Amino acid sequence: MSDQMIVIGTFVLSYGVMLGYATYLYLRRRRAGN
Amino acid sequence: MTRVKVLLAVAALAMAIGLWFALTAPTDALQGDFTRIINIHAPSMWLAFLAFGVTALGSAMWLIRKHNRWDRLAEASAELGVMFTAIGLFTGMVWGKAVWGRAWDWGDARLATSAVMFFVYVGYLALRAATPDPIERARRSAILGVIAVIQVPLVYFSVNLFRTLHQTQSIRPDGATMPQEMAIAILVNVIAYTILYVALLVARIDVAKAEERVANEDALAGDTVKPPRLSEVKDV
Repeated sequence: MSDQMIVIGTFVLSYGVMLGYATYLYLRRRRAGN
Repeated sequence: MTRVKVLLAVAALAMAIGLWFALTAPTDALQGDFTRIINIHAPSMWLAFLAFGVTALGSAMWLIRKHNRWDRLAEASAELGVMFTAIGLFTGMVWGKAVWGRAWDWGDARLATSAVMFFVYVGYLALRAATPDPIERARRSAILGVIAVIQVPLVYFSVNLFRTLHQTQSIRPDGATMPQEMAIAILVNVIAYTILYVALLVARIDVAKAEERVANEDALAGDTVKPPRLSEVKDV
């Protein structure tokens, strides 16, 4: 695997974790209702 | 739009700007594109320190005031701290493998103390999950939250106390050990990550409040719908 691919994969995974956590909070908030 | 949505939108914009800086900043002659990983690694670890500091503050305030809002703050911040530490450890390992030639070394003070800090705060979240009574949960986790924060200065200064594999601080009050453009990219990302942290913290506290409301409503409904006593049941 090329160096650039490893770096891109690291960025995608790291930002993916943050986005995933935000989505998880959104779903929990929606389930709790108003 | 609610306050949480506005904050998350601002955070998304800040993160996009941070990403642009990370991908366009000059790279190190030897490290190549792996230099860019530091734009995730350093801000993540900084935010983990801030998050665990806020957890300690919330914990101490709960022990003094015994108000729910401090427990919610401590819990939300600890969760975010664990997430940022996980990202910091992961990105550090990828960078270490490329630049040091090895992803992990238990003999290194910074790596070992960071790993211990990560597991202690995972333990903090496990302790919360394992304690059903809300008051007891807040009390136990507040005590741990106050004690566990000792690790933050230990991790930060481990590179000065024990000279092992990890380099010392690259951005210091007296200047940076790198070209200005690279330092600016890291600082822009630190600001972006801080905005993201605040947005997710407010969102997480909002979730906790909503879930507490639902739990209280369920408890009230449970009080009003009682099963009939045997003495009240008349024979037909």
